[in-house]
Amino acid sequence: MAQKTPEQINDDLLRPLQATSLKYKLILAFFFAIVVAAGLAFAHQIDYGIGVAGIRRPVFWGFYITNFVFWIGLSHAGTLISAILRLCNATWRRPVTRCAEVITVFALSIGATFPVIHLGRPWLAFWLFPYPSERGIWPNVRSPLLWDFFAINTYLLGSVTFLLLPMIPDFALVRDRAMGFRKKIYSALSLGWTGTPKQWHRLETAMHIMAIAVIPVAVSVHSIVSWDFAMAPVPMWHSTIFAPYFVAGAIFSGIAALIIAMALLRKFLHLEEYLLPIHFENLGKLLLVMSLLWFYFVASERLTAWYGNEPSEMTVLLLTQRGSFSPLFWTMVFCNFLIPFPILAIKKFRTITGCVIASIGVVIGMWLERFLIIVPSLSRKYLPYAWVTAPYRPTWVELTITAGTFAAMVMLYMLFSKFIPIISVWELKAGQHPEAEGAVTGHKLPAGSEAGAD
Amino acid sequence: MARQWGMVIDLDRCTGCEACVVACRAENNIATVGDDQAARGRAIHWLRVERYYEGDFPDVKVKFMPVMCQQCGAAPCEPVCPTFASYHTEEGLNGQIYNRCIGTRYCSNACPYNLRFFNFYNASWDKPLDLQLNPDVSVRGVGVMEKCTFCVQRIKASEIQAEAEKRPLKDGEVRPACVQSCPTRAMVFGDLNDPTSEVARLARSNRATKLLEEVGTLPQVTYLKRDSWNGAENS
Amino acid sequence: MQRRDFFKITAATGALTVLESCGNPDHQLIRFIPDEDLTPGEATWKPSICTMCGAGCGTLVRVMQAEAEVVRNGLLGTIKMGAAKKIEGNPAHPVNKGRLCPRGQAALQVTYHPDRIKGPMALNGARGSGLYQSISWDEALKRLMAQLNAVRENKSGLAVLTVPLHGQRREVVYRFTKAFGQDVPVVEFEFLDRRSAYYANMQSFGYHSPVVVDFSQSNYVLSFGADFLGTWNSPVAQSVGYGEMRKGRPGQRGKLVQFEARVSQTGANADELVACPPGMEGAMALCLAHVILRDKLRPMSAGGAATSSIPGWTTGLTDFAPEKTAALAHVDAAKLVRIAHEAAASGPAVAIIGDIATAQTNGLFNAMAVNALNELLGSVGKPGGIQFSAPFAVGDHLGSLSIASQIASLDRSTKVLLLNGANPVFATPTAQGVRETLEKIPFIASFGSFLDETSILADLVLPDNSPLESWLDDTPESGTTHLVASVAAPVMSTLHNTKPMPDVLLSVAQQLGGDVAKALPWKTYDEAVKASLAQYQKQTGGSVTGKDADDFWTKVQAAGGWWSGESAGMPIHASGKANPAKNVAPQFDGDASQYPFYFLPFASQMFYDGSLAHLPWMQEAPDPLSSAMWSTWVEIHPQTAQKLGIAQADLLEVTSQHGTLQAPAMISPGIAPDAIAMPLGQGHEQYTRYASGRGANPISILAPLTTENGALAWGATRVKISKAGKGKLILFGGSLREADIQNEPR
Ligand SMILES: Nc1nc2c(c(=O)[nH]1)N[C@H]1C(S)=C(S)[C@@H](COP(=O)(O)OP(=O)(O)OC[C@H]3O[C@@H](n4cnc5c(=O)[nH]c(N)nc54)[C@H](O)[C@@H]3O)O[C@H]1N2
Ligand code: SF4
Ligand code: SF4
Ligand code: SF4
Ligand code: SF4
Ligand code: SF4
Repeated sequence: MAQKTPEQINDDLLRPLQATSLKYKLILAFFFAIVVAAGLAFAHQIDYGIGVAGIRRPVFWGFYITNFVFWIGLSHAGTLISAILRLCNATWRRPVTRCAEVITVFALSIGATFPVIHLGRPWLAFWLFPYPSERGIWPNVRSPLLWDFFAINTYLLGSVTFLLLPMIPDFALVRDRAMGFRKKIYSALSLGWTGTPKQWHRLETAMHIMAIAVIPVAVSVHSIVSWDFAMAPVPMWHSTIFAPYFVAGAIFSGIAALIIAMALLRKFLHLEEYLLPIHFENLGKLLLVMSLLWFYFVASERLTAWYGNEPSEMTVLLLTQRGSFSPLFWTMVFCNFLIPFPILAIKKFRTITGCVIASIGVVIGMWLERFLIIVPSLSRKYLPYAWVTAPYRPTWVELTITAGTFAAMVMLYMLFSKFIPIISVWELKAGQHPEAEGAVTGHKLPAGSEAGAD
Repeated sequence: MARQWGMVIDLDRCTGCEACVVACRAENNIATVGDDQAARGRAIHWLRVERYYEGDFPDVKVKFMPVMCQQCGAAPCEPVCPTFASYHTEEGLNGQIYNRCIGTRYCSNACPYNLRFFNFYNASWDKPLDLQLNPDVSVRGVGVMEKCTFCVQRIKASEIQAEAEKRPLKDGEVRPACVQSCPTRAMVFGDLNDPTSEVARLARSNRATKLLEEVGTLPQVTYLKRDSWNGAENS
Repeated sequence: MQRRDFFKITAATGALTVLESCGNPDHQLIRFIPDEDLTPGEATWKPSICTMCGAGCGTLVRVMQAEAEVVRNGLLGTIKMGAAKKIEGNPAHPVNKGRLCPRGQAALQVTYHPDRIKGPMALNGARGSGLYQSISWDEALKRLMAQLNAVRENKSGLAVLTVPLHGQRREVVYRFTKAFGQDVPVVEFEFLDRRSAYYANMQSFGYHSPVVVDFSQSNYVLSFGADFLGTWNSPVAQSVGYGEMRKGRPGQRGKLVQFEARVSQTGANADELVACPPGMEGAMALCLAHVILRDKLRPMSAGGAATSSIPGWTTGLTDFAPEKTAALAHVDAAKLVRIAHEAAASGPAVAIIGDIATAQTNGLFNAMAVNALNELLGSVGKPGGIQFSAPFAVGDHLGSLSIASQIASLDRSTKVLLLNGANPVFATPTAQGVRETLEKIPFIASFGSFLDETSILADLVLPDNSPLESWLDDTPESGTTHLVASVAAPVMSTLHNTKPMPDVLLSVAQQLGGDVAKALPWKTYDEAVKASLAQYQKQTGGSVTGKDADDFWTKVQAAGGWWSGESAGMPIHASGKANPAKNVAPQFDGDASQYPFYFLPFASQMFYDGSLAHLPWMQEAPDPLSSAMWSTWVEIHPQTAQKLGIAQADLLEVTSQHGTLQAPAMISPGIAPDAIAMPLGQGHEQYTRYASGRGANPISILAPLTTENGALAWGATRVKISKAGKGKLILFGGSLREADIQNEPR
C-alpha cells in the first residue's frame, strides 16, 4: 500500500472518534432496541418462571446453553489468536490484533450471562461464588459448572488486561488531540504515558508475559466448557475427545467471527488501506486449517461411536445422522466444511468476499454444532420410555434473548470503535515506519524495540 | 455400620397397576401440572412404571418396570451439582435439598435414568385440594429440581419412633408409600447392610439385576427379573 | 366474626348435618363428630371404606389437623379441623389386606374437589343450563317434602335412580320407596353391569353373586377377557392373590393364560395370550372342555349341575372341536389342545370370565360355558378355584330387565325422581335416548356431589357428604371367602354445607310420618348401621367381640368392621332351575363388510367406568399401557394402521350405525388387527373443570343390543374408521419398545 505519513495514519484511524454520522446513530438505536427487547423477555421469564422457555424433560438444556458454548467459543478469536500471532511475531497481525481482542472481551461477557439466564432461580446465581456465607457451605468444586465460573472469569480478566495494555500509547495519542472533558478522560486512561524508553520497555515486557500467560487460559476455558458435557454419562457426551474438539471448534468459529468483524470495520470505517486483502487471505488460510481440523474431530468422534456400536450412543448418533435432526446435521457439515473448504482452498476464491462468505457459513455451522451436541443426546438418553415425548422447540423468549445477544455484540462493537481506535495506531506506525523516531508526541519508539526489529 | 436403605422390585409380581405411582403422588405433594404442561413433557412422576411391548398381537409380550430414583451409590447427579443440593447421605440415599437448588438442571442431564423432575413454574392447588398436602413433605417452588426421596420423611419418622421406644428398627418397619400400596407386594424396602433383612435376602436372588448397570451408577434398587412358567426353579 | 365463634361452629359442624332431623343434640355431638382433639403435626389413622368401585376395600385414613377455609352459616372463615391426608389399605381387612389400587389412592380428591357442590341448590333457569341458586337446607327439604307429599297422595309417581347401593343404604332406600308403594322402581345403575355373570352363577351354582377366585393357590388360570388385575370384580384382592400365585410359593409359579382381542392390564401380564374374538369366549372354553373330555383327562361325570345347562355336553361337545373353534377364531388348534392338557394336568386350575365376554349378545352363554369348564376342572368350591362367600344374593332384585327399559319405564308414570350419583346420560348409548326420557320427568331431586350429564337435569340439588365425611358400611360379596361387614364412622367433619343422603331420607321419613316413618325406625343412619351389625355380635370366632351391643359397636368402629374368623365358603348347589343357554353365536350391530372393526370399549385403569374422570390425579396418571394423560385414544394394530395410512396421533373418525366420534390414534401392538379399542372415561360434556369437554365417549356410539338377560351388550358394536386430520395425544412414555433403540420410536 502507499506509504502513509504518521499524520495521515492518525487522521485515518482517529476519524471515527471525532465525527458521528446520523446513520451510525440510527443503526446503534436499532440494535439497542433489540437488546432492550431481550431484557424484557428475561424479566418475563423471571416473573413467570423458566417454564416460558421451551425446555422440558428430559431436554433440560436448549438454546441458552447452546448460546453459552457458542459465544465462549467465539471469544477464542481474539486474545488467543493475537497472542499467538504476537509471539510468533507475524507482522501482518498489526492491524488485526485489537479488533480481535475486542471480540474476545465482548463475546466472553455475553457468553457468561447465559449460565445465569438459564437458571431456574437466577437470583441465586451468586451461590456459585465461594464466599463465607451463613449457609456454611462452599460451592461444590467437583462440579464442572464451578470450573466454568473460575475459568471464564480468569480468561475475561486476562483478556481485558491484554486488550488495555497496548491501548495506553493510543490513549495518550487521543489525549494529545482531544479538548476539554474528553482530554481529562483520556489523560486518566493513558496513565501518564509519555513514551519514554523505560515505559516502552515495560509495555513490551508486560505484553510478552500476558501473551504467554493467556494462551493456556484460553485453552483451558473451552476444555472446561466441553467438560460440562463430557463429565456426564450421557450418550455422545461422555467422550475423551471433547476437550480438544471444543477448543478447535472455538478457534474455528473465532477466526470466522474475526474475519466478518474486520470486513465490516473495513467497510464502515473506511479502513481499506489498513485492513488489506493479505490480512484476509492469511486469516482465510488459518480458517481453512481449522475447517479441516474440525472435520477430523467430528469424523473421529462419530467413527468411534459408530464402530463401538454401543446401543445408547448409536441411538443418538443415528438420530442426528439420519433421524429427525439430520437436516440440521447436514446443514452443519455443509456450513462448516463443504462451503469453507473449496472457497479457502482455491487461491483465487480466497478474496475478502470469499473469506466473508466462508466465515458466515462457519459461524452458522458452529452454532448448529453446539445445538446438535446438546439437544439430541438429551432427547434420547438410555431408557426408551424416558425419551422425550414432545420434541424440544424454542419459545419466543429464547429466540428474543438469543437475538438480543447478537445485537449486543454489534452494539458494543460499534460503541467501542467510537471511543477507541479499533486499530492499534502505534503498532501500525511501528510496523510502517521503522525509522519513525519520535514521529508523534508520545510515540518515541525505543531503539531496538520489537517495532524496530522488523 | 450405617444403614444402607435399598429396595427390591420383583418384576414377576408387578402387574403395572400404578397404585404405587398414585401413592407416591399422594404422599409427596407432587404437583399436578395440567394437560397443557403435560403435553410439553413437564408432568412430574417421581415413580413411573415403564412399559415395553415385544412383538405384535397376538404374539405380543408386555414388560412393566416401576422406576424411581435408584439412589445410586455412585450417583452421577451428585458431583455435577454446584451447590451440593444433590448430595449423598450416610444411609445411602441421594438427598435433594430444595432450598439449595438454583436450577441448573445439570443433575437431571447427568442422571442416566431421567428420574429428576423440574419445577418449571410455581405449583398451585385449586382450593380446597391443598387440604390434602402432607405437612411432612415440603412443597417445591419454581426453578427447583425434585425426585424420589425413598420417602425419607417416613424413614425419619420410624427412626424417631424406634428411638423413642428405645428399640432397634424392625425389618420392614419403614415402608415408603409405593411399597405400602403395592397390591402384589412386588416392592420390598429395607436395610441392605443387614444381611438378615428381607431386602438383602432378595437382593441376593439369582434373578437379581440392576438397571443400566453398565453405566456404573451402583443403584440401591434391585430388580428381580420375570420368570417363565416353567422357570419355577428361579425363586 | 370472632375466631372464638368459629371454634364453636367447628364443634357443631358435625352436628349441623342432622340437628334438624333428630332430637338431643348433645347425644348427636358425641356420635357425629369425629374425634377432633388432634395434636398439630401428629397423625391419627381412622378406618374407612373405599367407595370408588364396588369391591369395598377397607382403608385407613391419615387424619391431621389442618386449617380449612370453610363457609359456616354463610360466613367464610378459617377453622382448625381434622383433614384427611392420605388413604391406605387397612392391613386387617380380609378383602384388600392393606393394599389399594390407584383409584382408591385418589379418593381424597373426591372430598377436596374444588367443583364439589357445596350446598343445596334450586334450578334457576332452563333444565340443563346448570344455572342454580343456592338455598337453605330448610328450604330444600321443604321443596322435597312438597313433591313427595304430592306423589304420596296419588300413590304413585316416585322413582329412584341410583348408583349400586351398599350396606344399610340399600335397606334405607328400599324401605323408603316401598312405603310409597310396592311398585316404586329403584334403578341401580352402573355401566359395568355384571348381572349376566351373576345370573349365570345363579343358573350354574345357585348364587346370584360374583365369584371369589383363589389365585393364591392356583397353578393355572384361564382368564376369558377378565381384567382381574385392573378393573374386574375385586382387583386389589385379586392382585394380592396374583402376587402369591407368582412368587408366594417357593418353587411353585402359577401360569396365566389370557383369552382376549385387546391386551388388557391383565393380558399384559399373561404368560400366554390367545387371540379370542369378542363373543367367542364361551366357545373357546367349551373347546378346552371338549379336548379334556375327548382325551379323557377328566371324567365326564366331573361336570355337575353347571354342565347340565350346556347343550351337547353329554355328547362330548363335538361342535366345539379344536379345528372348528380354531377356524372360527383364527387361532392355532394345536395351541388350544396344548392349553387344555396343561390346565387339566396342572391343577388347581381355574377359569374366569370378564366384562367384555359377558357384555355380548351371548354373554350369558359365555359365562355358563366358563362355569361348566370350571366344574370340569374341579375348581368349584376348592382352594385355588372359585368360591362364593356371600350368603346374600346380590342384585337379583334388579330382575333381568334391561336397565335401558327400566329407565324408559320411568318417564311414563314418574312424577318425582330421586337421583343418587348415577350418570346414565353419560353411560348409556345415545341411541337409548335416556336424556330425553329423564327430561320428561316433571321433578328431579339429586343427591350427587357433582354436576354431571345426568344431575344437571335436576330441579333440586341436596348434596350428599363425601364418603370420608359419611357413615359407611358394606358387605363385600367378593374378594374374600370370609364373611365381612365393613363399618366406618366419618373420618372428618363436613367441609361444606352438605348432608348425608340416608340421613336426609330418614329425617324426611320422620316428617312425612305414617307408614313411611314406620318403615324406617332409625333416627339416624348410624343407628341403622348399628342395628345391622347386631347379628354378628353373637357369632363366635369373629374378628371383634364385645361384652354388650354398645361395646361391640365401639370396637367394630375402631376395627373398621367385623369379619368371620375362618373362611365362609358357601356350599355349591345346583339351582335346579338351570335352563339351557341359548345364543351360542354372538350377534353384532353393523355388517362386517361395511363396519369392518369390532369396537371394544374397556374400563380404564384410572377412570374405571368414567365416573373418576373428574379427579386430576387420575387425569394426570399415565395409563399403564398407552402412557396417555389427560386425553383419550383409539388403539389400532400397527399393520391395520399401515394399511389405512394412519400414523400415531392422527385424528380418527369412528362411526357405528348409531353415531360417530373423533379421537387420536394410538398405534398399539396389543390389539387384534380386526378390532379397535377405546378407554371409558373421557368425553364428558359436563363433569367438573378437569373432565368437561375432554376427548370422546365411546359409550355414545354403542348399539343398544343386550345380553340374553337384558344387560347392555356393550361389546357387540362394529365400526368403521377414517382419518380426519391430526389429533393430539398427550403421552408420558417416550417409546413403546426397547427395540426402538437405534430407530425412530414407533
Ligand atoms: N489399573 C489399570 N490401568 C490400566 C490397565 C489395566 O489393566 N489396569 N490397562 C492399560 C491398557 S492395556 C489400556 S488399553 C488403557 C485403556 O485406558 P483408556 O484408554 O482410558 O480406556 P478406557 O478407560 O476404557 O476408555 C477411555 C474413555 O473413552 C470413553 N469412550 C468410550 N467409547 C468412546 C467413543 O466412542 N468415543 C469417545 N470419544 N470416547 C469413548 C470411555 O467412556 C472412557 O472414559 O488402560 C491402561 N491402564
Ligand atoms: S403397585 Fe406394585 S404391582 Fe402395581 S405397578 Fe406398582 S409395583 Fe407394580
Ligand atoms: S437415579 Fe438419577 S437421580 Fe437418582 S441417584 Fe441415580 S443419578 Fe441421581
Ligand atoms: S438443578 Fe439444582 S440440584 Fe440439580 S445440579 Fe442444579 S442446583 Fe444442583
Ligand atoms: S420411595 Fe417414596 S418417593 Fe420414592 S417412589 Fe416410592 S413413594 Fe415415591
Ligand atoms: S378396588 Fe380400588 S377402587 Fe375398588 S374399592 Fe378397592 S381400592 Fe377402591
